[in-house]
Amino acid sequence: MRKSLKAWFLLSPALIIIILFNLLPLARTVFLSFQSSSLNNSHFIGLENYITVLTDSRFHQAIYNTAIYALAVVPIGLIISLIIAAILYDFKKFQVVFEVIFFMPYIISTVAKGSIFRLLLNEDYGIINNILGWFNIMPINFLDDPEIALLTIIIFGIWSSLGFNIVILLSGLRNLNSQYYKMASVCGANKFQQFWLITLPQLLPIITFLLTVNCINSFRIYTEVYTIFNGKAGIGYSAITAVYYIYDKFYVVNRYGEGMAAAVILFMLILIFTIIQNLILRKLTRR
Amino acid sequence: MQSKIWAITAYIFITLMTLITLFPFVYMAFVSFMTYEELISLKLIPSGFDLSNYKEVLGQASFVRYFLNTVYTATLSTLATLCTTILATFAFVKLNFPGKKILLMILVCLLMVPYEVLVFCNYLTIAQWGLMNTYTGLILPSTASVFYIFYLNSFLKMMSVTYYERARVVGASDLEFIVKILIPLSKPGICTVALLSFIDGWNSFLWPMLITNDSNMRLLSDGLSAFSMQTDRDFPLQMTATTITTIPIVIFYFIFRNQIISSVVNTGIKN
Repeated sequence: MRKSLKAWFLLSPALIIIILFNLLPLARTVFLSFQSSSLNNSHFIGLENYITVLTDSRFHQAIYNTAIYALAVVPIGLIISLIIAAILYDFKKFQVVFEVIFFMPYIISTVAKGSIFRLLLNEDYGIINNILGWFNIMPINFLDDPEIALLTIIIFGIWSSLGFNIVILLSGLRNLNSQYYKMASVCGANKFQQFWLITLPQLLPIITFLLTVNCINSFRIYTEVYTIFNGKAGIGYSAITAVYYIYDKFYVVNRYGEGMAAAVILFMLILIFTIIQNLILRKLTRR
Repeated sequence: MQSKIWAITAYIFITLMTLITLFPFVYMAFVSFMTYEELISLKLIPSGFDLSNYKEVLGQASFVRYFLNTVYTATLSTLATLCTTILATFAFVKLNFPGKKILLMILVCLLMVPYEVLVFCNYLTIAQWGLMNTYTGLILPSTASVFYIFYLNSFLKMMSVTYYERARVVGASDLEFIVKILIPLSKPGICTVALLSFIDGWNSFLWPMLITNDSNMRLLSDGLSAFSMQTDRDFPLQMTATTITTIPIVIFYFIFRNQIISSVVNTGIKN
Protein backbone atom coordinates (compact mmCIF):
# COMPACT_ATOMS: atom_id res chain seq x y z
CA MET A 1 0.00 0.00 0.00
CA ARG A 2 2.66 2.47 1.02
CA LYS A 3 4.70 1.39 -1.95
CA SER A 4 1.96 2.05 -4.47
CA LEU A 5 1.19 5.41 -2.88
CA LYS A 6 4.84 6.29 -3.29
CA ALA A 7 4.80 5.17 -6.92
CA TRP A 8 1.85 7.40 -7.76
CA PHE A 9 3.47 10.26 -5.87
CA LEU A 10 6.65 9.94 -7.94
CA LEU A 11 4.66 9.60 -11.13
CA SER A 12 2.43 12.56 -10.39
CA PRO A 13 4.53 15.41 -11.83
CA ALA A 14 4.86 13.63 -15.17
CA LEU A 15 1.28 12.36 -15.13
CA ILE A 16 -0.29 15.73 -14.36
CA ILE A 17 1.48 17.32 -17.32
CA ILE A 18 0.71 14.36 -19.58
CA ILE A 19 -2.97 14.42 -18.61
CA LEU A 20 -3.26 18.18 -19.07
CA PHE A 21 -1.31 18.45 -22.32
CA ASN A 22 -1.64 15.03 -23.96
CA LEU A 23 -4.78 13.28 -22.79
CA LEU A 24 -7.24 16.14 -22.26
CA PRO A 25 -6.41 17.97 -25.50
CA LEU A 26 -6.99 14.70 -27.35
CA ALA A 27 -10.42 14.38 -25.77
CA ARG A 28 -11.08 18.04 -26.40
CA THR A 29 -10.10 17.74 -30.05
CA VAL A 30 -12.66 14.99 -30.54
CA PHE A 31 -15.25 16.92 -28.52
CA LEU A 32 -14.77 20.17 -30.44
CA SER A 33 -15.00 18.36 -33.76
CA PHE A 34 -18.69 17.69 -33.00
CA GLN A 35 -19.41 21.24 -31.86
CA SER A 36 -20.37 24.31 -33.84
CA SER A 37 -17.37 26.47 -34.51
CA SER A 38 -17.76 29.48 -32.25
CA LEU A 39 -16.22 28.95 -28.81
CA ASN A 40 -18.56 31.05 -26.67
CA ASN A 41 -21.86 29.73 -27.85
CA SER A 42 -21.09 26.27 -29.12
CA HIS A 43 -23.47 23.36 -29.26
CA PHE A 44 -23.51 19.81 -30.54
CA ILE A 45 -23.96 19.61 -34.30
CA GLY A 46 -23.16 15.98 -35.00
CA LEU A 47 -21.12 15.20 -38.07
CA GLU A 48 -21.65 18.55 -39.75
CA ASN A 49 -18.01 19.64 -39.34
CA TYR A 50 -16.82 16.37 -40.80
CA ILE A 51 -19.13 16.77 -43.80
CA THR A 52 -17.95 20.35 -44.34
CA VAL A 53 -14.31 19.31 -44.20
CA LEU A 54 -14.69 16.17 -46.30
CA THR A 55 -16.49 18.08 -49.06
CA ASP A 56 -14.10 21.03 -48.95
CA SER A 57 -12.00 21.08 -52.12
CA ARG A 58 -9.19 22.77 -50.21
CA PHE A 59 -9.08 19.81 -47.83
CA HIS A 60 -8.88 17.46 -50.82
CA GLN A 61 -5.99 19.56 -52.09
CA ALA A 62 -4.32 19.37 -48.66
CA ILE A 63 -4.63 15.57 -48.44
CA TYR A 64 -3.53 15.17 -52.07
CA ASN A 65 -0.46 17.38 -51.52
CA THR A 66 0.45 15.57 -48.31
CA ALA A 67 0.15 12.17 -50.00
CA ILE A 68 2.19 13.20 -53.05
CA TYR A 69 4.79 14.75 -50.78
CA ALA A 70 5.12 11.52 -48.80
CA LEU A 71 5.16 9.36 -51.95
CA ALA A 72 7.95 11.46 -53.46
CA VAL A 73 10.10 12.44 -50.49
CA VAL A 74 10.17 9.14 -48.60
CA PRO A 75 11.46 6.79 -51.35
CA ILE A 76 13.74 9.31 -53.07
CA GLY A 77 15.21 10.53 -49.79
CA LEU A 78 15.74 6.98 -48.62
CA ILE A 79 17.44 5.81 -51.83
CA ILE A 80 19.84 8.77 -51.87
CA SER A 81 20.59 8.24 -48.17
CA LEU A 82 21.18 4.54 -48.74
CA ILE A 83 23.68 5.23 -51.52
CA ILE A 84 25.50 7.83 -49.40
CA ALA A 85 25.56 5.56 -46.33
CA ALA A 86 26.82 2.58 -48.35
CA ILE A 87 29.66 4.64 -49.85
CA LEU A 88 30.53 6.24 -46.50
CA TYR A 89 30.66 2.84 -44.86
CA ASP A 90 33.56 1.95 -47.17
CA PHE A 91 35.42 5.10 -46.16
CA LYS A 92 37.53 4.00 -43.26
CA LYS A 93 39.30 7.26 -42.58
CA PHE A 94 36.85 10.13 -42.93
CA GLN A 95 33.63 8.25 -42.27
CA VAL A 96 32.86 10.11 -39.04
CA VAL A 97 33.76 13.50 -40.54
CA PHE A 98 31.27 13.00 -43.35
CA GLU A 99 28.68 11.64 -40.93
CA VAL A 100 28.96 14.84 -38.89
CA ILE A 101 28.64 16.96 -42.06
CA PHE A 102 25.63 15.13 -43.45
CA PHE A 103 23.83 15.16 -40.12
CA MET A 104 24.24 18.89 -39.51
CA PRO A 105 21.07 20.07 -41.31
CA TYR A 106 19.01 17.86 -38.99
CA ILE A 107 19.70 19.94 -35.88
CA ILE A 108 19.14 23.31 -37.58
CA SER A 109 15.62 24.67 -37.28
CA THR A 110 13.26 24.22 -40.23
CA VAL A 111 12.60 27.96 -40.19
CA ALA A 112 16.28 28.74 -40.77
CA LYS A 113 16.67 26.10 -43.48
CA GLY A 114 13.47 27.30 -45.14
CA SER A 115 14.67 30.92 -45.16
CA ILE A 116 17.87 29.89 -46.92
CA PHE A 117 15.95 27.85 -49.49
CA ARG A 118 13.59 30.76 -50.13
CA LEU A 119 16.63 32.65 -51.37
CA LEU A 120 18.25 29.72 -53.20
CA LEU A 121 15.00 29.01 -55.08
CA ASN A 122 14.24 32.61 -56.00
CA GLU A 123 13.32 33.00 -59.65
CA ASP A 124 15.57 35.96 -60.46
CA TYR A 125 18.62 35.73 -58.24
CA GLY A 126 18.45 32.29 -56.68
CA ILE A 127 21.54 30.17 -57.17
CA ILE A 128 19.53 27.11 -58.21
CA ASN A 129 17.99 28.83 -61.21
CA ASN A 130 21.41 30.24 -62.03
CA ILE A 131 22.88 26.73 -62.14
CA LEU A 132 19.94 25.46 -64.21
CA GLY A 133 20.76 28.30 -66.62
CA TRP A 134 24.16 26.71 -67.34
CA PHE A 135 22.23 23.80 -68.83
CA ASN A 136 19.99 26.16 -70.80
CA ILE A 137 16.99 25.51 -68.59
CA MET A 138 14.66 28.49 -68.32
CA PRO A 139 14.33 29.92 -64.78
CA ILE A 140 11.71 27.99 -62.81
CA ASN A 141 9.36 30.05 -60.69
CA PHE A 142 9.63 27.80 -57.64
CA LEU A 143 7.94 30.17 -55.23
CA ASP A 144 5.13 31.93 -57.10
CA ASP A 145 3.80 29.32 -59.49
CA PRO A 146 0.92 27.22 -58.13
CA GLU A 147 1.82 24.39 -60.49
CA ILE A 148 5.35 24.11 -59.08
CA ALA A 149 4.76 24.94 -55.39
CA LEU A 150 4.43 21.29 -54.38
CA LEU A 151 7.64 20.36 -56.23
CA THR A 152 9.43 23.11 -54.31
CA ILE A 153 8.34 21.64 -50.98
CA ILE A 154 9.35 18.16 -52.17
CA ILE A 155 12.88 19.29 -53.11
CA PHE A 156 13.28 20.91 -49.72
CA GLY A 157 11.83 17.81 -48.01
CA ILE A 158 14.27 15.43 -49.71
CA TRP A 159 17.22 17.65 -48.86
CA SER A 160 16.12 17.88 -45.21
CA SER A 161 15.45 14.16 -44.80
CA LEU A 162 18.95 12.93 -45.71
CA GLY A 163 20.80 13.56 -42.42
CA PHE A 164 18.61 11.43 -40.17
CA ASN A 165 18.38 8.58 -42.68
CA ILE A 166 22.13 8.46 -43.30
CA VAL A 167 22.98 8.34 -39.60
CA ILE A 168 20.48 5.55 -38.87
CA LEU A 169 21.54 3.54 -41.95
CA LEU A 170 25.23 3.90 -41.08
CA SER A 171 24.58 2.57 -37.59
CA GLY A 172 22.73 -0.35 -39.20
CA LEU A 173 25.63 -1.03 -41.56
CA ARG A 174 28.10 -1.03 -38.68
CA ASN A 175 26.10 -3.76 -36.95
CA LEU A 176 25.99 -6.07 -39.94
CA ASN A 177 27.46 -9.53 -39.73
CA SER A 178 30.82 -9.26 -41.47
CA GLN A 179 31.11 -13.03 -41.81
CA TYR A 180 28.97 -13.00 -44.94
CA TYR A 181 31.29 -10.55 -46.70
CA LYS A 182 34.34 -12.70 -46.21
CA MET A 183 32.45 -15.60 -47.74
CA ALA A 184 31.19 -13.41 -50.57
CA SER A 185 34.61 -12.12 -51.53
CA VAL A 186 35.93 -15.69 -51.46
CA CYS A 187 33.16 -16.58 -53.90
CA GLY A 188 34.17 -13.62 -56.06
CA ALA A 189 31.08 -11.47 -55.69
CA ASN A 190 31.68 -7.84 -56.67
CA LYS A 191 30.78 -4.82 -54.56
CA PHE A 192 27.45 -4.29 -56.23
CA GLN A 193 26.40 -7.95 -55.87
CA GLN A 194 27.49 -7.92 -52.23
CA PHE A 195 25.37 -4.86 -51.56
CA TRP A 196 22.32 -6.24 -53.35
CA LEU A 197 22.47 -9.79 -51.98
CA ILE A 198 23.93 -9.37 -48.49
CA THR A 199 23.70 -5.79 -47.25
CA LEU A 200 20.21 -4.90 -48.41
CA PRO A 201 18.38 -7.95 -46.99
CA GLN A 202 20.06 -7.45 -43.63
CA LEU A 203 19.13 -3.78 -43.58
CA LEU A 204 15.46 -4.50 -44.29
CA PRO A 205 14.21 -3.98 -40.68
CA ILE A 206 15.98 -0.62 -40.46
CA ILE A 207 14.70 0.43 -43.87
CA THR A 208 11.16 -0.45 -42.82
CA PHE A 209 11.62 1.56 -39.64
CA LEU A 210 12.86 4.56 -41.64
CA LEU A 211 9.96 4.23 -44.08
CA THR A 212 7.50 4.48 -41.19
CA VAL A 213 9.20 7.39 -39.45
CA ASN A 214 9.62 9.30 -42.70
CA CYS A 215 6.02 8.70 -43.74
CA ILE A 216 4.62 9.86 -40.41
CA ASN A 217 6.88 12.92 -40.51
CA SER A 218 5.66 13.64 -44.03
CA PHE A 219 2.04 13.54 -42.87
CA ARG A 220 2.93 16.19 -40.31
CA ILE A 221 4.68 18.77 -42.46
CA TYR A 222 3.66 22.33 -41.84
CA THR A 223 6.63 24.51 -40.87
CA GLU A 224 8.34 23.69 -44.18
CA VAL A 225 5.43 25.15 -46.14
CA TYR A 226 5.00 28.12 -43.83
CA THR A 227 8.64 29.22 -44.10
CA ILE A 228 9.36 28.45 -47.75
CA PHE A 229 6.38 30.57 -48.82
CA ASN A 230 6.97 33.13 -46.06
CA GLY A 231 3.78 32.71 -44.06
CA LYS A 232 1.53 31.42 -46.81
CA ALA A 233 0.77 28.01 -48.29
CA GLY A 234 1.97 29.08 -51.73
CA ILE A 235 -0.02 31.17 -54.19
CA GLY A 236 -3.73 30.46 -53.68
CA TYR A 237 -3.06 27.72 -51.11
CA SER A 238 -1.45 25.59 -53.84
CA ALA A 239 1.03 23.99 -51.42
CA ILE A 240 -1.43 23.49 -48.55
CA THR A 241 -0.86 20.37 -46.43
CA ALA A 242 -3.05 18.58 -43.90
CA VAL A 243 -1.56 20.25 -40.84
CA TYR A 244 -1.50 23.61 -42.61
CA TYR A 245 -5.23 23.16 -43.29
CA ILE A 246 -5.89 22.52 -39.58
CA TYR A 247 -3.77 25.55 -38.64
CA ASP A 248 -5.58 27.73 -41.16
CA LYS A 249 -9.06 26.66 -39.99
CA PHE A 250 -8.19 26.90 -36.35
CA TYR A 251 -5.90 29.88 -36.01
CA VAL A 252 -6.52 32.05 -39.06
CA VAL A 253 -10.26 31.80 -39.70
CA ASN A 254 -11.18 30.60 -36.18
CA ARG A 255 -13.40 27.73 -37.28
CA TYR A 256 -12.38 25.50 -34.39
CA GLY A 257 -14.89 22.72 -35.04
CA GLU A 258 -13.85 22.24 -38.64
CA GLY A 259 -10.16 22.46 -37.76
CA MET A 260 -10.54 19.80 -35.12
CA ALA A 261 -12.60 17.57 -37.41
CA ALA A 262 -9.71 17.76 -39.89
CA ALA A 263 -7.29 16.94 -37.06
CA VAL A 264 -9.30 13.85 -36.12
CA ILE A 265 -9.35 12.72 -39.77
CA LEU A 266 -5.57 13.21 -40.06
CA PHE A 267 -5.02 11.28 -36.83
CA MET A 268 -7.18 8.42 -38.11
CA LEU A 269 -5.23 8.30 -41.38
CA ILE A 270 -1.91 8.16 -39.50
CA LEU A 271 -3.31 5.48 -37.17
CA ILE A 272 -4.51 3.29 -40.05
CA PHE A 273 -1.17 3.74 -41.75
CA THR A 274 0.74 2.75 -38.60
CA ILE A 275 -1.39 -0.37 -38.11
CA ILE A 276 -0.92 -1.52 -41.71
CA GLN A 277 2.79 -0.86 -41.48
CA ASN A 278 3.01 -2.86 -38.23
CA LEU A 279 1.29 -5.82 -39.87
CA ILE A 280 3.76 -5.71 -42.75
CA LEU A 281 6.72 -5.45 -40.37
CA ARG A 282 5.45 -8.42 -38.36
CA LYS A 283 5.24 -10.48 -41.54
CA LEU A 284 8.75 -9.45 -42.55
CA THR A 285 10.34 -10.34 -39.24
CA ARG A 286 8.50 -13.65 -38.96
CA ARG A 287 10.09 -14.87 -42.17
CA MET B 1 39.70 -1.28 -63.60
CA GLN B 2 35.98 -1.58 -63.10
CA SER B 3 36.30 -1.12 -59.36
CA LYS B 4 38.38 2.01 -59.97
CA ILE B 5 35.57 3.52 -62.02
CA TRP B 6 33.18 2.65 -59.21
CA ALA B 7 35.42 4.27 -56.63
CA ILE B 8 35.80 7.46 -58.65
CA THR B 9 32.05 7.69 -59.26
CA ALA B 10 31.49 7.18 -55.54
CA TYR B 11 33.94 9.95 -54.64
CA ILE B 12 32.35 12.35 -57.12
CA PHE B 13 28.90 11.56 -55.77
CA ILE B 14 29.93 12.08 -52.14
CA THR B 15 31.69 15.34 -53.00
CA LEU B 16 28.61 16.56 -54.83
CA MET B 17 26.29 15.61 -51.96
CA THR B 18 28.60 17.22 -49.41
CA LEU B 19 28.47 20.41 -51.47
CA ILE B 20 24.68 20.25 -51.66
CA THR B 21 24.50 19.73 -47.90
CA LEU B 22 26.91 22.46 -46.88
CA PHE B 23 26.51 25.04 -49.62
CA PRO B 24 23.21 26.53 -48.33
CA PHE B 25 24.81 27.34 -44.96
CA VAL B 26 28.03 28.71 -46.44
CA TYR B 27 26.02 30.82 -48.87
CA MET B 28 23.83 32.05 -46.01
CA ALA B 29 26.92 33.26 -44.15
CA PHE B 30 28.35 34.89 -47.30
CA VAL B 31 25.13 36.70 -48.19
CA SER B 32 25.00 38.13 -44.67
CA PHE B 33 28.05 40.23 -45.60
CA MET B 34 26.67 41.35 -48.96
CA THR B 35 24.81 44.44 -50.07
CA TYR B 36 21.60 44.00 -52.02
CA GLU B 37 23.42 44.99 -55.23
CA GLU B 38 26.06 42.33 -54.68
CA LEU B 39 23.39 39.71 -54.13
CA ILE B 40 21.42 40.45 -57.29
CA SER B 41 24.59 40.48 -59.36
CA LEU B 42 24.78 36.79 -58.33
CA LYS B 43 28.18 37.05 -56.69
CA LEU B 44 29.07 34.03 -54.63
CA ILE B 45 31.61 35.59 -52.33
CA PRO B 46 31.16 39.03 -50.69
CA SER B 47 33.69 41.72 -51.49
CA GLY B 48 34.44 42.28 -47.84
CA PHE B 49 33.34 41.24 -44.39
CA ASP B 50 31.22 44.26 -43.65
CA LEU B 51 29.19 43.99 -40.46
CA SER B 52 26.63 46.65 -41.32
CA ASN B 53 23.89 44.06 -42.03
CA TYR B 54 24.38 42.69 -38.52
CA LYS B 55 24.06 46.15 -37.01
CA GLU B 56 20.90 46.77 -38.98
CA VAL B 57 19.27 43.44 -38.09
CA LEU B 58 20.07 43.79 -34.40
CA GLY B 59 18.74 47.35 -34.51
CA GLN B 60 15.47 46.30 -36.18
CA ALA B 61 14.63 43.20 -34.18
CA SER B 62 15.80 42.15 -30.73
CA PHE B 63 17.46 38.88 -31.68
CA VAL B 64 19.54 39.10 -28.51
CA ARG B 65 16.31 39.01 -26.56
CA TYR B 66 15.00 36.09 -28.67
CA PHE B 67 18.27 34.29 -28.04
CA LEU B 68 18.00 34.75 -24.27
CA ASN B 69 14.32 33.72 -24.34
CA THR B 70 15.27 30.58 -26.24
CA VAL B 71 18.14 29.67 -23.93
CA TYR B 72 15.88 30.24 -20.92
CA THR B 73 12.88 28.24 -22.12
CA ALA B 74 14.91 25.42 -23.69
CA THR B 75 17.02 25.03 -20.53
CA LEU B 76 14.09 25.14 -18.13
CA SER B 77 11.94 22.73 -20.11
CA THR B 78 14.91 20.36 -20.43
CA LEU B 79 15.58 20.44 -16.68
CA ALA B 80 11.90 19.95 -15.88
CA THR B 81 11.63 17.10 -18.38
CA LEU B 82 14.65 15.43 -16.78
CA CYS B 83 13.11 15.65 -13.30
CA THR B 84 9.66 14.37 -14.27
CA THR B 85 11.13 11.68 -16.51
CA ILE B 86 13.62 10.36 -13.94
CA LEU B 87 10.99 10.21 -11.17
CA ALA B 88 8.44 8.51 -13.41
CA THR B 89 11.00 6.06 -14.75
CA PHE B 90 12.09 5.18 -11.23
CA ALA B 91 8.48 4.43 -10.29
CA PHE B 92 7.94 2.33 -13.40
CA VAL B 93 11.14 0.33 -13.21
CA LYS B 94 11.65 -0.17 -9.49
CA LEU B 95 8.18 -0.16 -7.96
CA ASN B 96 5.24 -2.43 -8.48
CA PHE B 97 1.82 -0.92 -8.00
CA PRO B 98 -1.72 -1.75 -9.03
CA GLY B 99 -2.67 -0.16 -12.33
CA LYS B 100 0.88 -0.09 -13.65
CA LYS B 101 0.13 -2.22 -16.69
CA ILE B 102 -2.96 -0.22 -17.66
CA LEU B 103 -1.10 3.04 -17.17
CA LEU B 104 1.74 1.88 -19.42
CA MET B 105 -0.79 0.84 -22.04
CA ILE B 106 -2.52 4.22 -21.99
CA LEU B 107 0.87 5.90 -22.35
CA VAL B 108 1.77 3.70 -25.34
CA CYS B 109 -1.45 4.79 -27.01
CA LEU B 110 -0.68 8.46 -26.29
CA LEU B 111 2.70 7.95 -27.95
CA MET B 112 0.90 7.46 -31.25
CA VAL B 113 -0.92 10.80 -31.19
CA PRO B 114 0.92 13.32 -33.35
CA TYR B 115 1.96 16.54 -31.66
CA GLU B 116 0.21 18.61 -34.32
CA VAL B 117 -3.17 17.14 -33.35
CA LEU B 118 -2.74 18.25 -29.72
CA VAL B 119 -1.02 21.58 -30.11
CA PHE B 120 -4.13 23.59 -31.01
CA CYS B 121 -6.17 22.48 -28.01
CA ASN B 122 -3.14 23.09 -25.80
CA TYR B 123 -3.16 26.60 -27.15
CA LEU B 124 -6.80 26.97 -26.06
CA THR B 125 -5.88 25.70 -22.57
CA ILE B 126 -2.98 28.12 -22.19
CA ALA B 127 -5.11 30.99 -23.51
CA GLN B 128 -7.92 30.20 -21.06
CA TRP B 129 -5.48 30.12 -18.18
CA GLY B 130 -4.31 33.59 -19.18
CA LEU B 131 -0.77 32.36 -19.82
CA MET B 132 -0.35 33.81 -23.31
CA ASN B 133 2.96 35.68 -23.71
CA THR B 134 4.45 34.18 -20.54
CA TYR B 135 7.43 31.91 -20.05
CA THR B 136 5.21 29.54 -18.09
CA GLY B 137 2.95 29.20 -21.11
CA LEU B 138 5.92 28.56 -23.37
CA ILE B 139 7.50 25.95 -21.10
CA LEU B 140 4.66 24.17 -19.31
CA PRO B 141 3.45 21.71 -21.99
CA SER B 142 6.99 20.50 -22.66
CA THR B 143 7.92 19.68 -19.05
CA ALA B 144 7.07 15.99 -19.40
CA SER B 145 7.23 13.64 -22.31
CA VAL B 146 5.78 10.19 -22.81
CA PHE B 147 8.44 9.47 -25.40
CA TYR B 148 11.39 10.13 -23.05
CA ILE B 149 9.76 8.16 -20.22
CA PHE B 150 9.62 5.14 -22.49
CA TYR B 151 13.13 5.70 -23.73
CA LEU B 152 14.60 5.93 -20.22
CA ASN B 153 12.47 2.96 -19.18
CA SER B 154 13.95 0.74 -21.84
CA PHE B 155 17.38 2.04 -20.90
CA LEU B 156 16.98 1.28 -17.21
CA LYS B 157 15.34 -2.09 -17.62
CA MET B 158 18.74 -3.46 -18.50
CA MET B 159 20.02 -2.28 -15.12
CA SER B 160 19.90 -5.04 -12.56
CA VAL B 161 17.19 -4.92 -9.86
CA THR B 162 19.61 -6.09 -7.20
CA TYR B 163 21.12 -2.60 -6.97
CA TYR B 164 17.86 -1.28 -5.60
CA GLU B 165 17.41 -4.15 -3.14
CA ARG B 166 20.96 -3.86 -1.90
CA ALA B 167 20.55 -0.12 -1.46
CA ARG B 168 17.37 -0.74 0.56
CA VAL B 169 19.21 -3.18 2.80
CA VAL B 170 21.94 -0.66 3.48
CA GLY B 171 19.15 1.72 4.43
CA ALA B 172 19.36 4.23 1.63
CA SER B 173 16.27 6.31 1.02
CA ASP B 174 14.71 6.42 -2.45
CA LEU B 175 16.05 9.91 -3.05
CA GLU B 176 19.55 8.78 -2.14
CA PHE B 177 19.14 5.81 -4.42
CA ILE B 178 18.03 8.01 -7.31
CA VAL B 179 20.81 10.56 -6.85
CA LYS B 180 23.66 8.21 -5.97
CA ILE B 181 22.92 5.12 -8.03
CA LEU B 182 20.18 5.55 -10.61
CA ILE B 183 21.37 8.82 -12.14
CA PRO B 184 25.06 7.86 -12.41
CA LEU B 185 24.18 4.48 -13.88
CA SER B 186 21.80 5.85 -16.47
CA LYS B 187 24.00 8.79 -17.39
CA PRO B 188 24.12 8.03 -21.15
CA GLY B 189 20.33 7.72 -21.26
CA ILE B 190 19.85 10.93 -19.32
CA CYS B 191 22.32 12.73 -21.60
CA THR B 192 20.31 11.59 -24.57
CA VAL B 193 17.07 12.93 -23.09
CA ALA B 194 18.76 16.21 -22.16
CA LEU B 195 20.37 16.79 -25.56
CA LEU B 196 17.33 15.90 -27.62
CA SER B 197 14.88 17.81 -25.46
CA PHE B 198 17.16 20.86 -25.54
CA ILE B 199 17.44 20.75 -29.34
CA ASP B 200 13.66 20.29 -29.56
CA GLY B 201 13.11 23.28 -27.32
CA TRP B 202 15.64 25.32 -29.26
CA ASN B 203 14.00 24.66 -32.63
CA SER B 204 10.35 24.75 -31.55
CA PHE B 205 8.33 26.96 -33.83
CA LEU B 206 4.61 26.24 -33.94
CA TRP B 207 4.13 26.44 -30.18
CA PRO B 208 5.83 29.82 -29.56
CA MET B 209 4.13 31.18 -32.66
CA LEU B 210 0.70 30.28 -31.26
CA ILE B 211 1.43 31.34 -27.70
CA THR B 212 3.17 34.68 -28.24
CA ASN B 213 2.06 37.81 -30.02
CA ASP B 214 4.21 40.16 -27.96
CA SER B 215 7.47 40.50 -29.88
CA ASN B 216 9.43 40.56 -26.60
CA MET B 217 8.39 36.98 -25.87
CA ARG B 218 9.46 35.51 -29.21
CA LEU B 219 11.94 32.68 -29.51
CA LEU B 220 14.58 32.47 -32.24
CA SER B 221 12.52 30.44 -34.73
CA ASP B 222 9.33 32.46 -34.65
CA GLY B 223 11.39 35.64 -34.28
CA LEU B 224 13.22 34.78 -37.50
CA SER B 225 9.96 33.91 -39.23
CA ALA B 226 8.37 37.22 -38.20
CA PHE B 227 11.47 39.12 -39.29
CA SER B 228 11.40 37.42 -42.71
CA MET B 229 7.82 38.49 -43.21
CA GLN B 230 8.58 42.10 -42.25
CA THR B 231 11.58 42.38 -44.55
CA ASP B 232 9.89 40.53 -47.44
CA ARG B 233 12.61 40.49 -50.13
CA ASP B 234 15.58 42.01 -48.36
CA PHE B 235 17.59 38.81 -48.57
CA PRO B 236 20.92 40.08 -47.18
CA LEU B 237 19.13 41.14 -43.98
CA GLN B 238 17.20 37.85 -43.82
CA MET B 239 20.35 35.80 -44.27
CA THR B 240 22.03 37.86 -41.55
CA ALA B 241 19.16 37.10 -39.20
CA THR B 242 19.27 33.43 -40.20
CA THR B 243 23.01 33.32 -39.54
CA ILE B 244 22.50 34.89 -36.12
CA THR B 245 19.90 32.27 -35.20
CA THR B 246 21.82 29.25 -36.50
CA ILE B 247 25.35 29.95 -35.27
CA PRO B 248 24.66 29.09 -31.60
CA ILE B 249 23.10 25.71 -32.41
CA VAL B 250 25.88 24.89 -34.93
CA ILE B 251 28.50 25.58 -32.26
CA PHE B 252 26.50 23.46 -29.83
CA TYR B 253 26.38 20.72 -32.45
CA PHE B 254 30.11 20.69 -33.06
CA ILE B 255 30.84 20.53 -29.33
CA PHE B 256 28.46 17.61 -28.70
CA ARG B 257 28.45 16.12 -32.21
CA ASN B 258 29.22 12.53 -31.22
CA GLN B 259 26.81 12.50 -28.29
CA ILE B 260 24.06 14.07 -30.40
CA ILE B 261 24.45 11.57 -33.24
CA SER B 262 24.52 8.58 -30.91
CA SER B 263 21.49 9.99 -29.03
CA VAL B 264 19.50 10.21 -32.23
CA VAL B 265 20.59 6.71 -33.26
CA ASN B 266 19.73 5.23 -29.85
CA THR B 267 16.27 6.74 -29.58
CA GLY B 268 15.66 5.91 -33.22
CA ILE B 269 16.59 2.25 -32.99
CA LYS B 270 14.85 1.70 -29.66
CA ASN B 271 11.51 2.58 -31.20
